Amino acid sequence: MKHIYREKTDKRILKKNPWKNYKLHITILFLVIIAESIGPIEIELLEGVEVSIMPLLYSMVLGLVCYLAKPINWIKRKQARIAEGAMMLFIGILIAKLAVSSGQSIHLIFEMGPALMLQELGHLATILIALPVALLLGFKREAIGMTNSIGREPEVGVVVDKYGFNSPEARGIFALFIIGTIIGTVFISFLASLSTSLLPLHPFAFAMASGVGSASMNAAALGPTLAAFPALETQIEAFAGFSNLLSFSVGIYIVIFLALPLTEKMYYKLEPKIGRRSSSKKEGGDDDGNE
Amino acid sequence: MTEMNDEFKIISVPGLVNWIFLLLVFSIITTIGNCMGYRHPISESLIGMIILSLIALSGVWMENNLPFKIPSIIYIIIIGFILAFPLVPTSAIIIYYVSEVEIISIVTVFLAYVGIGMGNSWDEIRSLDWKALILTMIIITALYVSSGIVTQFINL
Repeated sequence: MKHIYREKTDKRILKKNPWKNYKLHITILFLVIIAESIGPIEIELLEGVEVSIMPLLYSMVLGLVCYLAKPINWIKRKQARIAEGAMMLFIGILIAKLAVSSGQSIHLIFEMGPALMLQELGHLATILIALPVALLLGFKREAIGMTNSIGREPEVGVVVDKYGFNSPEARGIFALFIIGTIIGTVFISFLASLSTSLLPLHPFAFAMASGVGSASMNAAALGPTLAAFPALETQIEAFAGFSNLLSFSVGIYIVIFLALPLTEKMYYKLEPKIGRRSSSKKEGGDDDGNE
Repeated sequence: MTEMNDEFKIISVPGLVNWIFLLLVFSIITTIGNCMGYRHPISESLIGMIILSLIALSGVWMENNLPFKIPSIIYIIIIGFILAFPLVPTSAIIIYYVSEVEIISIVTVFLAYVGIGMGNSWDEIRSLDWKALILTMIIITALYVSSGIVTQFINL
């Protein structure tokens, strides 16, 4: 019941001129200045394999450190709530920027658009890889919720709608959603950085790949991609924005009509073969029970 | 894992005045970062940020005030797209100023807010299941790589 009270205080905090909380905003300004003055750092993992760490990663980690560090006593729960509440607004700016880039390069998208929609079929390859791994790790029906998609808001909606709020499938996608929110941006930024130096793909292919997740994941993946191909900036932004738009619009139908049914079918085929026996007695048991 | 259900809904800031001032604060911080990190002129970047803020603001306003059940993201995409469309008379000005703002500068400021906001759920973050963590990373990797490869083979 704690959360009901929490929700009320949160609403009060957010109604009372959150923009006036100068402690929060000035701290953010300092974090941004620190992050930008360090600038991108390139680390050579192996010969020819470079990972570039972008300022956006430092600013996020520094933000978390500010909250957790005891000496910084002016960043507390209240500031964190405001930061969280303002996020939905700020993400609009990010999306506006991508939309402008897409509008600007509309001819490119029209040329390649229809075929690019097939890109959403990448979802199906994901299931083939992730579902067996989930079963080997000991997940049961949670695996259906976890491996059908990347688990952003629209997909969470679909799964909750189909299986119900308290089903193991919904629990699976909630876990995916929460972990994705926390590590998604950081992880995809590393991934994009590593991939651009490892995989011999076209810059536009990396741009399309950036758009598979949420809008902030998209932008985080774009950072290293733009750094690797600076000459194609607008086009890469346009394709990434387009791909993100597809993930939101077409992707959801792929999940409903193809990915989710396929995941379910594969689950019932594979589960008896490679599912962990130790927890199979617990029909639909939760994943905490396997430890 | 039931406590995650309660954490699931993020309450966003209400009120038009709050939105305007928050976007203004965000624009100023981003402009400073944009000038520092990427050497763009300050006035152009600020105008670019204000244009983007107005687009975002109209999207959020429409979500709250129009009778359709459409998320603000869709409105923002449509408005931004139309304003920059080559045949529309506004496009030249919009494109000129908006391209002075690096998308990475925007994300840097955005993620600073995300970092502080994450502090609130630190206890839940620490108690996450490592198996689910591994699986999430595998899913993101598989989707990223397969989507890149599919695009490559379709028509590039």
